[in-house]
Amino acid sequence: MHTIEVSHVAKRFGETQAVVDVSFDVERGEIFGLLGPNGAGKTTTIRLMLDIFRPDAGTVSIFGGQLDLAKKRRIGYMPEDRGLYKDLKLEPTLIYLATLKGLDEKTARSRLGEWLERFDLAEHRQKKVQELSSGMQQKAQIITTLLHDPDLIVADEPFSALDPVNTRLVKQILEEQRQAGKSILMSTHQMYQVEALCDRIVLIDEGRVVLYGAVDEIKRSFAGNAVVIEGQGDFTHIPGVLETRKHNDTYHLALQVGTDPQAVFRTLAARENVKIERFELAEPSLDDIFVNMVQNGAAKLEARHA
Amino acid sequence: MHNLWLIAKHEYRGTVFKRAFILITLAIPLGMAAVIALAIFVGTSGENNLPVGYVDKADILNVTWQPPSPMPTGIEIRAFPDEEVALAALEGKEIQAFFVLPSDYPSTLQTDLYYLEEPPSNDVWRDFDNFVRANLVATYPDEIRNRLLEGPNITVHDIVSKREFSESSIINVILPFVATFFFFIATMSASGYMLRVVADEKESRTMEIMITSVTPGQLIGGKTAGLLAAALTQLAIYIIAAIVGLIVAAPHVEELQQVTVPWAYLGVMALFFFPAYGLIAAVMVAIGAAVTKVQEGQQVAGILNLFFMAPLFLLTVIFENPAAPVVVFFTLFPTTSFMTISLRWGLGTVPLWQIGVSWILLVATTVFLVWAAARIFRAGMLRYGQPLNLKLVLSLLKGRRWR
Repeated sequence: MHTIEVSHVAKRFGETQAVVDVSFDVERGEIFGLLGPNGAGKTTTIRLMLDIFRPDAGTVSIFGGQLDLAKKRRIGYMPEDRGLYKDLKLEPTLIYLATLKGLDEKTARSRLGEWLERFDLAEHRQKKVQELSSGMQQKAQIITTLLHDPDLIVADEPFSALDPVNTRLVKQILEEQRQAGKSILMSTHQMYQVEALCDRIVLIDEGRVVLYGAVDEIKRSFAGNAVVIEGQGDFTHIPGVLETRKHNDTYHLALQVGTDPQAVFRTLAARENVKIERFELAEPSLDDIFVNMVQNGAAKLEARHA
Repeated sequence: MHNLWLIAKHEYRGTVFKRAFILITLAIPLGMAAVIALAIFVGTSGENNLPVGYVDKADILNVTWQPPSPMPTGIEIRAFPDEEVALAALEGKEIQAFFVLPSDYPSTLQTDLYYLEEPPSNDVWRDFDNFVRANLVATYPDEIRNRLLEGPNITVHDIVSKREFSESSIINVILPFVATFFFFIATMSASGYMLRVVADEKESRTMEIMITSVTPGQLIGGKTAGLLAAALTQLAIYIIAAIVGLIVAAPHVEELQQVTVPWAYLGVMALFFFPAYGLIAAVMVAIGAAVTKVQEGQQVAGILNLFFMAPLFLLTVIFENPAAPVVVFFTLFPTTSFMTISLRWGLGTVPLWQIGVSWILLVATTVFLVWAAARIFRAGMLRYGQPLNLKLVLSLLKGRRWR
């Protein structure tokens, strides 16, 4: 049984088709990345999953069936826009939200103490939420998501507003949750975090799935769509190259799907004042793949996987 | 059910411990007590206790007999043989004023009053009137004399409601007006809090967390119950303050001793209070979910509140003709029925058919608005930054998919 099974869901709001056709599933004990550019339909898909919206077509199954109140209590949801009562104190707010998830007040208070210590928020527990910095509010939101020990964690931009230290802490916590057998669905634009954490991903663009599978397999399948160059000269404005990034003395070129690296090499070789010391095919980063897929659109991807 | 209780408890605590709630709850009874105390202070501090004199040229005030009830001011009424002596006493500050009953007084009933700077108070006038009246009837047998001095006291018996109205129990006529005011304050403030908590949850995005933890029914039901409890707490404080006020003031104010508990009125108000509260709460939920900011919601609610406050603009008509067609219309109209019936109660009978029809209309409207508010709430709760327009609201109510 999958923790989440989303099958061909579609959702329209008036004239806007927010989700056209999205399918994926999330397994127990994995971190799953839900990716896509702004307006791709990620948040709508999450809301369809959580029964906030009902799909016009398709089905959603959570823990093997329709979402009910008992299953809602097994979910920890962290929306993209932090949602805490601004003018209430931190501790009672978090305890209240935990009790709505079925935790008794005593247990909630006890667990909260541990989480507040871990996130270095213990001394702020009696402050109003609005008095906390945005990073602190983000940490408080993460505590809200985890306090009732959910089996499924849905986190929309969990690293938003966090400094490197707290980002590392949250990554560590997500790893621990995975180790404990929890399912984690994470939506973020920070591709290096996805690469570091996610087992599998689904990439949505314009309401459709354009990429779906294990991160390693996807990266392997896109090998050849990036080249690494060392040398001197102008390595920009090359036909078939989406982006050129320079890191130290190395140039990283993300190629469009279908671009032959040899053609890139020939183009560069033909340029005057260009000296190539190293030219090799590179495994693309998820970031490159994301940019590639989004800029090329779904049609080319379908052609590639056909 | 547990979640509904948790939400209700949270909203109740969050409301009654708010500074604004405590202020408005305590300010009204304390304010009224302060106004009454001030009135008593002003009334008594400047009181002139000098005797009042009279010159009786009509020769009718020759009986020393005093009326049976004690004179309110206790001021001495002193006789003078003529105006000259009385004027000397007035200028000598021995008396505060003197009346002159001319020789043709029995036929003209005209009296002259002389004073230096301030005319005597109304109580002094009343004392002197009582004094003259007592002298005029002094020759009659005791029984007739006492009856004449008591004057008329008409009691109207309403055969439909079994209620009685009399001049001596005027306080029982006034009470429903006061109660209307308190009912109205409690209902409107609770509904105002409802608007604030819904719009605030939407604005702060807490709604998204809530809706993935509880059902929309539990969310709205819990809020409604919690805020209703807050409204009832406010009402209870008003009632306790009123009872304490009556207990303290009754020994000093004769009219207050006539107060009887208006059970029928309280029963009818209880019957109307809950659906009326539900109706206002539903309207506020819909507004809170439809707008994007609390402030916008308050502006819209301010306009819609006129539909509930309209009877206040008709007070004169209600006083003059409680059965006027416009008053009957307001009695039956769901947003105004609660207040109109409450106001009419003190002035007479509200026909049973009007109470019945009005209640049915109110309950039916409340049920419809709760249903409509639920749809608007579900559609609007997550539309951050996008208010619901009228077209969308209408399409929601026509049954199109709402989420």
